[in-house]
Amino acid sequence: MTSRGTPSRFLKSVLQNGVGRYVCQLKRVSIVFSKKAQSSLGVRDFIEEGVVDYAKKNPGTVVYVSPQACNVPKIVAEYLNGNVREELVTSKTSQQISEILTKLTNQSGLDIIRLRKPFHTDSPSIQGQWHPFTNRPLLIDPKPPTASTK
Amino acid sequence: MSSFSRSAQQWATFARSWFLIDARMQPPGKIASMCSVRLQGKHKPIYHALSDCGDHVVVINSRQIAFSGNKWEQKVYSSHTGYPGGFKQVTAAQLHHKDPKAIVKLAVYGMLPRNLHRRTMMQRLHIFSDDALPDDIRANLTEELQQPRAIPRKLSEYTPEEVEAFPRLWTPPEDYKMK
Repeated sequence: MTSRGTPSRFLKSVLQNGVGRYVCQLKRVSIVFSKKAQSSLGVRDFIEEGVVDYAKKNPGTVVYVSPQACNVPKIVAEYLNGNVREELVTSKTSQQISEILTKLTNQSGLDIIRLRKPFHTDSPSIQGQWHPFTNRPLLIDPKPPTASTK
Repeated sequence: MSSFSRSAQQWATFARSWFLIDARMQPPGKIASMCSVRLQGKHKPIYHALSDCGDHVVVINSRQIAFSGNKWEQKVYSSHTGYPGGFKQVTAAQLHHKDPKAIVKLAVYGMLPRNLHRRTMMQRLHIFSDDALPDDIRANLTEELQQPRAIPRKLSEYTPEEVEAFPRLWTPPEDYKMK
Protein backbone atom coordinates (compact mmCIF):
# COMPACT_ATOMS: atom_id res chain seq x y z
CA MET A 1 0.00 0.00 0.00
CA THR A 2 1.10 3.54 -0.50
CA SER A 3 1.70 5.89 2.37
CA ARG A 4 0.21 8.92 0.69
CA GLY A 5 -2.82 9.02 2.94
CA THR A 6 -0.86 9.08 6.17
CA PRO A 7 0.00 12.36 7.89
CA SER A 8 3.37 13.73 6.91
CA ARG A 9 5.54 16.78 7.31
CA PHE A 10 8.88 18.09 6.22
CA LEU A 11 11.88 17.59 8.45
CA LYS A 12 11.94 20.43 10.92
CA SER A 13 13.38 21.38 14.24
CA VAL A 14 12.14 23.45 17.15
CA LEU A 15 13.40 26.88 18.22
CA GLN A 16 14.48 28.77 15.07
CA ASN A 17 15.56 25.69 13.21
CA GLY A 18 18.05 24.74 15.90
CA VAL A 19 20.05 27.90 15.36
CA GLY A 20 19.89 29.06 18.97
CA ARG A 21 21.20 27.22 22.02
CA TYR A 22 19.85 23.83 22.99
CA VAL A 23 16.73 23.87 25.17
CA CYS A 24 15.39 20.60 26.50
CA GLN A 25 11.88 20.32 25.13
CA LEU A 26 10.61 17.97 27.84
CA LYS A 27 8.67 20.11 30.28
CA ARG A 28 7.12 17.68 32.70
CA VAL A 29 7.28 13.94 33.20
CA SER A 30 4.99 11.90 35.49
CA ILE A 31 5.81 8.35 36.44
CA VAL A 32 2.55 6.54 37.22
CA PHE A 33 2.94 3.18 38.96
CA SER A 34 1.38 0.92 41.53
CA LYS A 35 2.84 0.25 44.96
CA LYS A 36 1.81 -3.39 44.91
CA ALA A 37 1.35 -4.68 41.36
CA GLN A 38 3.89 -7.09 39.90
CA SER A 39 3.98 -5.17 36.63
CA SER A 40 5.37 -2.10 38.42
CA LEU A 41 8.32 -3.90 39.93
CA GLY A 42 10.83 -2.38 37.57
CA VAL A 43 9.39 1.11 38.05
CA ARG A 44 9.70 0.79 41.81
CA ASP A 45 13.32 -0.26 41.36
CA PHE A 46 13.93 2.73 39.10
CA ILE A 47 12.37 5.10 41.63
CA GLU A 48 14.65 3.77 44.32
CA GLU A 49 17.77 3.87 42.17
CA GLY A 50 17.60 6.38 39.40
CA VAL A 51 14.81 8.93 39.58
CA VAL A 52 16.58 11.38 41.91
CA ASP A 53 19.70 11.30 39.76
CA TYR A 54 17.58 11.87 36.67
CA ALA A 55 15.84 14.88 38.26
CA LYS A 56 19.16 16.37 39.33
CA LYS A 57 20.63 15.85 35.90
CA ASN A 58 17.65 17.56 34.17
CA PRO A 59 16.88 20.77 36.07
CA GLY A 60 14.64 21.95 33.22
CA THR A 61 12.22 19.07 33.67
CA VAL A 62 9.68 18.62 36.45
CA VAL A 63 9.44 15.01 37.60
CA TYR A 64 6.30 13.73 39.30
CA VAL A 65 6.17 10.33 40.95
CA SER A 66 2.55 9.32 41.51
CA PRO A 67 1.69 5.98 43.05
CA GLN A 68 -1.80 4.90 42.01
CA ALA A 69 -3.64 1.61 42.05
CA CYS A 70 -3.04 0.57 38.46
CA ASN A 71 -2.05 -2.50 36.52
CA VAL A 72 -0.33 -0.67 33.72
CA PRO A 73 2.45 1.63 34.90
CA LYS A 74 3.26 4.41 32.47
CA ILE A 75 5.42 7.45 31.89
CA VAL A 76 3.54 10.57 30.75
CA ALA A 77 5.78 13.17 29.08
CA GLU A 78 4.61 16.71 28.34
CA TYR A 79 6.57 18.88 25.93
CA LEU A 80 6.99 22.62 25.53
CA ASN A 81 4.89 22.64 22.39
CA GLY A 82 1.96 21.11 24.30
CA ASN A 83 2.26 17.58 23.02
CA VAL A 84 1.74 14.78 25.54
CA ARG A 85 3.23 11.31 25.04
CA GLU A 86 2.46 8.26 27.10
CA GLU A 87 4.83 5.31 27.27
CA LEU A 88 3.59 2.11 28.87
CA VAL A 89 6.30 0.49 30.98
CA THR A 90 4.59 -2.76 31.97
CA SER A 91 7.09 -5.33 33.24
CA LYS A 92 10.09 -3.27 32.16
CA THR A 93 13.29 -3.45 34.12
CA SER A 94 14.87 -0.45 35.80
CA GLN A 95 17.50 -0.27 33.05
CA GLN A 96 14.87 -0.26 30.28
CA ILE A 97 12.86 2.45 32.02
CA SER A 98 15.96 4.59 32.31
CA GLU A 99 16.49 4.22 28.55
CA ILE A 100 12.88 5.14 27.78
CA LEU A 101 13.17 8.24 29.96
CA THR A 102 16.37 9.30 28.23
CA LYS A 103 14.67 8.86 24.86
CA LEU A 104 11.70 10.99 25.94
CA THR A 105 14.07 13.67 27.26
CA ASN A 106 15.95 13.91 23.98
CA GLN A 107 12.88 14.11 21.77
CA SER A 108 11.60 17.42 20.49
CA GLY A 109 7.93 16.72 21.13
CA LEU A 110 7.01 16.94 17.47
CA ASP A 111 4.67 14.23 16.25
CA ILE A 112 6.47 11.17 15.00
CA ILE A 113 5.04 10.86 11.51
CA ARG A 114 6.27 10.16 8.03
CA LEU A 115 8.90 12.61 6.81
CA ARG A 116 8.71 14.04 3.34
CA LYS A 117 12.03 14.21 1.53
CA PRO A 118 14.05 12.25 4.14
CA PHE A 119 17.38 13.28 2.65
CA HIS A 120 20.34 11.68 4.33
CA THR A 121 24.00 11.10 3.70
CA ASP A 122 26.42 8.69 5.32
CA SER A 123 29.37 10.77 4.17
CA PRO A 124 28.80 14.42 5.06
CA SER A 125 30.89 17.00 3.25
CA ILE A 126 34.38 17.63 4.60
CA GLN A 127 34.49 21.01 2.91
CA GLY A 128 31.41 22.17 4.82
CA GLN A 129 27.99 23.27 3.70
CA TRP A 130 27.77 25.47 0.61
CA HIS A 131 27.50 29.21 1.10
CA PRO A 132 27.51 32.08 -1.41
CA PHE A 133 31.27 32.59 -1.19
CA THR A 134 32.31 29.00 -1.77
CA ASN A 135 34.67 28.91 -4.77
CA ARG A 136 34.11 32.59 -5.42
CA PRO A 137 36.46 35.52 -4.95
CA LEU A 138 35.27 37.93 -2.31
CA LEU A 139 35.06 41.55 -3.42
CA ILE A 140 35.12 43.86 -0.46
CA ASP A 141 34.04 47.02 -2.24
CA PRO A 142 33.18 46.44 -5.91
CA LYS A 143 32.87 49.60 -7.90
CA PRO A 144 31.16 49.85 -11.23
CA PRO A 145 33.92 50.37 -13.81
CA THR A 146 32.14 53.29 -15.41
CA ALA A 147 32.05 55.17 -12.14
CA SER A 148 35.73 54.56 -11.39
CA THR A 149 37.12 55.21 -14.87
CA LYS A 150 35.06 58.29 -15.64
CA MET B 1 36.05 22.22 7.90
CA SER B 2 33.96 25.27 7.59
CA SER B 3 35.06 28.39 9.38
CA PHE B 4 31.49 29.05 10.56
CA SER B 5 29.71 27.89 13.65
CA ARG B 6 26.58 25.92 12.87
CA SER B 7 24.16 28.77 13.37
CA ALA B 8 26.21 31.16 11.29
CA GLN B 9 26.55 28.44 8.66
CA GLN B 10 22.78 28.25 8.40
CA TRP B 11 22.54 32.00 7.85
CA ALA B 12 25.47 32.01 5.45
CA THR B 13 24.00 29.31 3.24
CA PHE B 14 20.73 31.16 2.72
CA ALA B 15 22.20 34.66 2.64
CA ARG B 16 21.30 36.74 -0.40
CA SER B 17 24.06 38.07 -2.61
CA TRP B 18 23.78 41.30 -4.56
CA PHE B 19 25.01 41.22 -8.14
CA LEU B 20 25.87 44.21 -10.25
CA ILE B 21 25.38 44.23 -14.02
CA ASP B 22 26.50 47.10 -16.21
CA ALA B 23 24.04 47.33 -19.11
CA ARG B 24 26.09 49.83 -21.15
CA MET B 25 26.01 48.79 -24.83
CA GLN B 26 24.50 45.38 -23.99
CA PRO B 27 21.48 43.67 -25.55
CA PRO B 28 18.52 43.76 -23.10
CA GLY B 29 17.68 40.10 -23.68
CA LYS B 30 21.17 38.97 -22.64
CA ILE B 31 20.98 41.17 -19.53
CA ALA B 32 17.52 39.81 -18.73
CA SER B 33 18.53 36.17 -19.00
CA MET B 34 21.46 36.77 -16.62
CA CYS B 35 19.10 38.54 -14.22
CA SER B 36 16.35 35.94 -14.34
CA VAL B 37 18.70 33.06 -13.44
CA ARG B 38 19.99 34.93 -10.41
CA LEU B 39 16.63 36.26 -9.30
CA GLN B 40 15.31 32.70 -9.21
CA GLY B 41 18.44 31.40 -7.46
CA LYS B 42 19.08 28.84 -10.19
CA HIS B 43 22.83 29.52 -10.10
CA LYS B 44 23.06 27.98 -6.61
CA PRO B 45 23.70 24.33 -5.88
CA ILE B 46 21.12 24.51 -3.08
CA TYR B 47 18.37 25.66 -5.50
CA HIS B 48 14.93 24.35 -4.71
CA ALA B 49 11.71 25.65 -6.17
CA LEU B 50 10.10 26.04 -2.74
CA SER B 51 12.98 27.55 -0.81
CA ASP B 52 12.93 31.18 -2.09
CA CYS B 53 16.68 31.42 -2.54
CA GLY B 54 16.82 34.18 -5.17
CA ASP B 55 19.46 36.88 -5.09
CA HIS B 56 19.31 40.62 -5.68
CA VAL B 57 20.42 42.02 -9.01
CA VAL B 58 21.34 45.65 -9.62
CA VAL B 59 21.34 46.80 -13.25
CA ILE B 60 23.04 50.11 -13.96
CA ASN B 61 23.23 52.20 -17.14
CA SER B 62 19.93 50.89 -18.44
CA ARG B 63 19.68 54.06 -20.54
CA GLN B 64 22.70 52.89 -22.55
CA ILE B 65 21.35 49.49 -23.67
CA ALA B 66 21.92 48.51 -27.29
CA PHE B 67 19.39 46.76 -29.50
CA SER B 68 20.72 45.06 -32.59
CA GLY B 69 19.16 45.34 -36.03
CA ASN B 70 16.27 47.74 -36.43
CA LYS B 71 14.59 46.78 -33.17
CA TRP B 72 14.48 50.35 -31.89
CA GLU B 73 11.99 51.18 -34.64
CA GLN B 74 10.43 47.81 -35.31
CA LYS B 75 10.02 46.20 -31.90
CA VAL B 76 6.57 47.03 -30.54
CA TYR B 77 5.51 47.03 -26.91
CA SER B 78 1.74 46.55 -26.58
CA SER B 79 -0.49 47.13 -23.61
CA HIS B 80 -4.16 47.62 -22.95
CA THR B 81 -5.49 50.13 -20.48
CA GLY B 82 -8.73 48.18 -19.97
CA TYR B 83 -10.93 50.92 -21.43
CA PRO B 84 -12.59 50.59 -24.84
CA GLY B 85 -10.10 51.60 -27.48
CA GLY B 86 -7.36 51.52 -24.89
CA PHE B 87 -4.96 49.33 -26.85
CA LYS B 88 -1.60 51.11 -26.83
CA GLN B 89 1.33 50.25 -29.01
CA VAL B 90 4.67 52.02 -28.76
CA THR B 91 7.97 51.24 -30.42
CA ALA B 92 11.03 50.43 -28.36
CA ALA B 93 12.51 53.88 -29.08
CA GLN B 94 9.39 55.65 -27.81
CA LEU B 95 9.17 53.49 -24.71
CA HIS B 96 12.88 53.98 -23.97
CA HIS B 97 12.50 57.73 -24.35
CA LYS B 98 9.58 57.74 -21.91
CA ASP B 99 11.16 55.42 -19.32
CA PRO B 100 14.77 54.23 -19.73
CA LYS B 101 14.22 51.41 -17.21
CA ALA B 102 11.13 49.93 -18.86
CA ILE B 103 12.75 47.80 -21.58
CA VAL B 104 15.08 45.93 -19.21
CA LYS B 105 12.28 45.53 -16.69
CA LEU B 106 9.84 44.09 -19.23
CA ALA B 107 12.51 41.77 -20.62
CA VAL B 108 13.29 40.36 -17.16
CA TYR B 109 9.62 40.11 -16.25
CA GLY B 110 8.96 38.10 -19.38
CA MET B 111 11.77 35.66 -18.57
CA LEU B 112 10.66 34.90 -15.01
CA PRO B 113 8.33 31.95 -14.40
CA ARG B 114 4.62 32.76 -14.40
CA ASN B 115 3.88 31.99 -10.78
CA LEU B 116 3.19 33.76 -7.50
CA HIS B 117 6.90 34.35 -6.83
CA ARG B 118 7.23 36.47 -9.96
CA ARG B 119 6.41 39.83 -8.33
CA THR B 120 8.61 39.00 -5.32
CA MET B 121 11.53 38.26 -7.59
CA MET B 122 10.90 41.49 -9.51
CA GLN B 123 11.16 43.39 -6.22
CA ARG B 124 14.72 42.06 -5.91
CA LEU B 125 15.62 43.59 -9.27
CA HIS B 126 16.97 47.13 -8.98
CA ILE B 127 17.35 49.04 -12.23
CA PHE B 128 19.12 52.37 -12.52
CA SER B 129 19.16 54.40 -15.71
CA ASP B 130 22.69 55.73 -15.06
CA ASP B 131 25.66 54.60 -13.01
CA ALA B 132 24.84 56.49 -9.80
CA LEU B 133 23.86 54.09 -7.02
CA PRO B 134 22.45 54.90 -3.60
CA ASP B 135 24.95 54.18 -0.85
CA ASP B 136 22.82 51.52 0.86
CA ILE B 137 22.67 49.49 -2.35
CA ARG B 138 26.34 50.04 -3.16
CA ALA B 139 27.28 48.75 0.29
CA ASN B 140 25.45 45.46 -0.35
CA LEU B 141 27.11 44.57 -3.65
CA THR B 142 29.22 41.42 -3.63
CA GLU B 143 30.09 40.75 -7.24
CA GLU B 144 30.06 42.46 -10.58
CA LEU B 145 29.04 40.17 -13.42
CA GLN B 146 30.91 40.16 -16.67
CA GLN B 147 29.13 41.83 -19.54
CA PRO B 148 27.81 39.40 -22.13
CA ARG B 149 29.09 41.48 -25.06
CA ALA B 150 32.45 43.19 -25.46
CA ILE B 151 31.98 46.92 -26.04
CA PRO B 152 33.61 48.05 -29.33
CA ARG B 153 35.86 51.08 -28.94
CA LYS B 154 35.24 54.29 -30.81
CA LEU B 155 38.01 55.80 -32.93
CA SER B 156 38.23 58.66 -30.44
CA GLU B 157 39.05 56.19 -27.67
CA TYR B 158 42.18 54.88 -29.41
CA THR B 159 45.45 56.57 -28.53
CA PRO B 160 47.38 58.26 -31.38
CA GLU B 161 50.10 55.57 -31.03
CA GLU B 162 47.57 52.81 -31.62
CA VAL B 163 46.17 54.64 -34.62
CA GLU B 164 49.70 55.06 -36.01
CA ALA B 165 50.51 51.39 -35.38
CA PHE B 166 47.45 50.22 -37.29
CA PRO B 167 48.60 48.39 -40.45
CA ARG B 168 47.96 50.29 -43.66
CA LEU B 169 47.38 48.91 -47.11
CA TRP B 170 48.79 51.96 -48.86
CA THR B 171 50.80 55.00 -47.86
CA PRO B 172 49.68 58.12 -49.72
CA PRO B 173 52.47 60.13 -51.36
CA GLU B 174 53.39 63.59 -50.04
CA ASP B 175 51.54 65.48 -52.74
CA TYR B 176 48.43 63.33 -52.63
CA LYS B 177 45.25 65.39 -52.30
CA MET B 178 42.55 63.93 -50.06
CA LYS B 179 39.13 64.62 -51.47
